[in-house]
Amino acid sequence: MRARSVIGSLWVPVAVLAVVLALGGCGTGTGTGTGGTGEGTSAAASGRDLQATGLATSPPAEAPATPLPEIPVSSAALEDRPALTGPAPVRFQAPDLGIDVAVEAVGLDDRGAMGLPANPSIAAWYRFGAAPGAAAGSVVVAAHVDSLEYDIGPFARLAAAPAGTRFLVTTADGTTHEYALTMTEVVPKEQVDWSAAFARDGAPRLTLVTCGGDFDYDARRYLSNVLVTAEPTG
Amino acid sequence: MKKILAAAIGAGALVALGTAVPASAAESPAMLSVLHGVPGLTVDVYVNDELTLDDFTPGSLAGPLELPAGTYAVAITASDATDASSPAIGPVDLPLDAGGNYTAVAHLDEGGEPTATLFTNDTATLAAGEGRLTVRHVAAAPAVDVLAGGSPVITNLANPDEQKLDLPAGTQSVSVAATGTTDPVIGPADVEVAEGANTIAYAWGSLEDDNLDLAVQTVAIAGMHSSPDGVPAGSAGLVATNAPESAASWTAVLGAAVLAAAAGVTILLRRRAGARVEH
Repeated sequence: MRARSVIGSLWVPVAVLAVVLALGGCGTGTGTGTGGTGEGTSAAASGRDLQATGLATSPPAEAPATPLPEIPVSSAALEDRPALTGPAPVRFQAPDLGIDVAVEAVGLDDRGAMGLPANPSIAAWYRFGAAPGAAAGSVVVAAHVDSLEYDIGPFARLAAAPAGTRFLVTTADGTTHEYALTMTEVVPKEQVDWSAAFARDGAPRLTLVTCGGDFDYDARRYLSNVLVTAEPTG
Repeated sequence: MKKILAAAIGAGALVALGTAVPASAAESPAMLSVLHGVPGLTVDVYVNDELTLDDFTPGSLAGPLELPAGTYAVAITASDATDASSPAIGPVDLPLDAGGNYTAVAHLDEGGEPTATLFTNDTATLAAGEGRLTVRHVAAAPAVDVLAGGSPVITNLANPDEQKLDLPAGTQSVSVAATGTTDPVIGPADVEVAEGANTIAYAWGSLEDDNLDLAVQTVAIAGMHSSPDGVPAGSAGLVATNAPESAASWTAVLGAAVLAAAAGVTILLRRRAGARVEH
C-alpha cells in the first residue's frame, strides 16, 4: 500500500529512482560524489599573523630574486590552531515536510555504528564528519524513523520527499545553511556504501539518513536505510 | 629463432615493467611540511638552492608542499642571507618517498645546537572514533614523559625521537615532564586529538632558556578515517513496507478485542457464579 502510494504521487522521478536503486540492489551510493582528493593538512590556514619570539629581528624588506612558490604558513602554537570543524548544527528543518527538530552532535555507539538519540524527534549530526559550510565532504544528519516508545518520527516523511525539497540546517553560530534534495535512495543495509555517505572529501553536501523498507519483526530492525542527498543552494 | 624472439619479447616486457613502476609511483607525490622550532631565529629556507620560505619565524608551520618523490637538499640560512651558500642548518638531504607524508623540523638538539630532523607522519587508517597522537621531542632538554590527564602515556622520549598512540578522539590535557616525574615543564595544555587524523605535538625550545613550548600540527589525508558501520535508525516497524496489511492489523485488533471481551465475559460469569453462590 505504502509503496504504491509513493509511486502514485506527483514525484515519480525520485520515487522511481529510489525503487530502481532498491530493486537493482546496487546501492553503492555512487551518486553521492567522491571527487577531490582532500589531501592536505588542517595546518594549511594561510594569512595568519606569525608570532615571532622576542629575539627575532625583522630583516629589511627585500624582493626575492625569483617569485616564491605559494606555501601556506601558519602559527603552530596551540592557541593559534584553527578550529578543526565549523560550528555544529543545532536545528534541522524541512518546511515543506513539516519537520523542525533539534540536532545533537553524536559519535559512535558501542557497536561502532552512528549513535542516535532514542527520540525520533531529535536528529543527530555525526560530529567527526563535515560540518555545514565546510569546503568539502558530507554533512551527515540522521534520526530514527520510529520507536515503540515515541511512535513514528518526522524523518519518516523523507522517503517520499520530492527532488528540490528544501532543507535548512542552523548551526550554533546562528547561521542557516540551505540545501535542496537531489537524490533519494533506499538501500539494503548490508549494501550501503558508508564510506561514501560519510566521506570527508568531494563536493559539499548534506546526507540525511533514516531507516525504511521492510522490517524484520524478529530482530526488530529495518532491512534498509533511506539516504537522502541534498546540495547547498547558495 | 622462436626462442630468441620469445626471450627478446620477455626482455622487452621486463623493460616495460621496469619503466612502468617508477612512472606510476611518480604520480603519487610526497607531502612535506616544515616546522621552525629554533627559538629566536628568523630564517630563510632553501630547497635545492631555491628560496622557498622567506622570513620564516620560530613556531611557524609551512606546507604541506606537494613534491615529486626524490631527494631534496634543504638549507636554512639567516633571514638576511642572499643565497644558500652559508647555511645556519644543513644543507641536509631529505629523501621523500612517493605518497609519503613528512615534516622537516628545524630545531635544537639536546645540547642546544641548531639541527634539522625529517619525520615521517603516520597516515595509516584509524578506527572510527579514534585519533592518533604523536609527540616529538625537538627541544634542548633531557628525555621526557608525556602525560595525558595526569597519567604518563609516553615515557622516556628523547630528542629527536617520537612516540605515538591511537586513542579515542577528543580533547586531552597534555603535559610534558622530565622522565620519571610528573611536574610539568610544558603544560598542562588542552590538545584536541582529531578523529581520523594524526595530531602531532612538538615539544620545542630550550629548558635552560625557559622557553619550552608546544607546537601542534594536524595531518589528515583522504582515506585515513573510518566510517561508522551503519546507522540503526528505527526499531518499531511502524513505517515498514512489509507491514501487515491493514486488514490483518484489524484482524489482530479484533482478535485482541474478542479475547478481551471473552475474558470480560468469563469474569462476569464468574462474578455471577460467585454471586449465585453467595446468594
